[in-house]
Amino acid sequence: MTQSSRPGGSAGYELPVYPFVPPPELARGERAHHPIVIVGGGLSGLTLACDLAHRGIDSVVLDEDDTIGVRGASSRGICYAQKTLEIFARLGIYDRMREKGVTWSVGKTLSGRDVVYGFNLQVASASAQPPFINLQQFYVEWFLVDRIRELGRCDLRWKNKVVSVTQTDGEVTATVETPAGTYSLIADWLIDASGVNSRIRSGFGLDPHTSRIADRWCITDVRFKERFPIERWTWVEAPFNENRAVWQHPMADDVWRLDYQMPSDCDPDYVSRRDVAEDRLRAHLGDIGFELVWVGPYEYRDHLLDEFRHGRVFFIGDAAHVVSPFGARGGNSGIQDADNLGWKLALVLRNRAPVRLLETYDAERRAAAKENLEVASRTARFLAPQSEAERTLRRAAIDLARDHPFARVLVNTGRMSVANPYPGSPAVAGGGWSLPNVPLTLPDGSPSDLVTLARSVGTMFVGILYAPAPERDVSAMARLEAEGLPLRLFVSGPGGIADRSGRLAELLGATAGSFALIRPDLYLAALVANADAAQVQRVLHKALCLDTARVAA
Amino acid sequence: MAAMRMDPNIPDPDGFYAALVAAHQGLTDAQSAELNAKLVFLLANQLGDQTTLIECIEAAAASSGEATARRSS
Repeated sequence: MTQSSRPGGSAGYELPVYPFVPPPELARGERAHHPIVIVGGGLSGLTLACDLAHRGIDSVVLDEDDTIGVRGASSRGICYAQKTLEIFARLGIYDRMREKGVTWSVGKTLSGRDVVYGFNLQVASASAQPPFINLQQFYVEWFLVDRIRELGRCDLRWKNKVVSVTQTDGEVTATVETPAGTYSLIADWLIDASGVNSRIRSGFGLDPHTSRIADRWCITDVRFKERFPIERWTWVEAPFNENRAVWQHPMADDVWRLDYQMPSDCDPDYVSRRDVAEDRLRAHLGDIGFELVWVGPYEYRDHLLDEFRHGRVFFIGDAAHVVSPFGARGGNSGIQDADNLGWKLALVLRNRAPVRLLETYDAERRAAAKENLEVASRTARFLAPQSEAERTLRRAAIDLARDHPFARVLVNTGRMSVANPYPGSPAVAGGGWSLPNVPLTLPDGSPSDLVTLARSVGTMFVGILYAPAPERDVSAMARLEAEGLPLRLFVSGPGGIADRSGRLAELLGATAGSFALIRPDLYLAALVANADAAQVQRVLHKALCLDTARVAA
Repeated sequence: MAAMRMDPNIPDPDGFYAALVAAHQGLTDAQSAELNAKLVFLLANQLGDQTTLIECIEAAAASSGEATARRSS
């Protein structure tokens, strides 16, 4: 057997290095007060910084490293889901992701050579963004850093390591170590995006309820030119991996992500030795040339914080929740945490919403994390049976799936990340759900979409009134914005925006006279039939957590 | 309350039991376990009612607990 991999050779990446600049606190002895300090420059922290910059809100990001990525150029989180892509379209990095990454919508689960389960997420998609783009995580972080620098509202501080955080009723103080010395900085709000091992979390004595999972994997990033289908392939029992699970995903630069499940008692150093990894690749890929880019052992754990807010500190991303990796519910949910929190912080800092609005971050995103934890745990359990009886059940399901459609849905190699619906609350009566980026036509006839519309109004709610509606109601609703409420009214119908495909009306269940209140994160806050201005004002007040007693008056 | 029915509903109980035993004839314990598992999945899909399915799982688990206790006493 011949192959062209270079044992011990490096096909790695050169990641950008960002210079350490002594912060003003050290350089000039300033004691500045910052509205927002974000700790951690990973996916969730950078997304929040970028989101806030877009909204015209200043922030400081403190990152202990001087580059993106960790453990070298390991691919890490590679599947970016539709909601995430819609967020990135709003933030202005989607085009780069689409250009660099690999767009896919078909997933298949194989047993040996037989497909036992398959899905095509494009079929039910109504969005301008595809169901998924695969891309090495460091590229996404790279694009975010570039975009943040372009927007110029965020002070990105590299080699700034937060060693402790304390807070009073009025402010948060972080102590930061840098190559130029240690300093303190003060913030109105501090966002902990420092990841799975957050010292801020442990500093406050908050228990994330960690459970370790005895499932071991070996992750392999490998470059080859062979044309495999651009699809997500998973095996529950792969003959070329001693009947353990295998994941196969395309990524950028002809690099593939191949994850191999290992025995739970394996030696992590042995299984990720280059020669051992290469033998495994040959068993999987056959006689083709390949180049090993990155290999390393992987084990995972779960955790979920009781509360995602602690006084003036918010926890987002892995600092708040970690789930098993199946279904891409980790990185995507961290990005969506940032999307949920950004507009709320912006409105509160501008005194257009009360601090109470920030409580909905925990209510909504903890519920999302809880759901993700349950869904991903079920997959993890399917992939790692804990007894012979469980193994028998799984074998029976897979065997039946070969011949019978009903059993295919039992085969669980990951239920892919979705924009989680939110439980009902005063802010989202009847529950909130995310609207996809449907196409719309602007009054001048130019094609647009919901994300572009939301982006064009800044940090405001988008109100869509379905025509025809009485003219006096339309003008009364339009006056709400002039009265200081963050609402931009659009009329759907002649002379207004056109929902030509009817897709939005269909999703909303809207008819003539309906009013849809859409939040800056494109979750539906309320749908009112036969709406008048007083009702619109009432639902908007509720969505902003403004005093409802005052509203009723 | 329960969607699960506990009154006799199998038209020919002895015939059903005989067919079940016959299907297990000559199988190893492992093969029998797999046959039972497949049967559970097939029957569950015929039933198709989540509440009834969960109640059946609970009833089976409760009943096996008693049997185990009886055996060990």
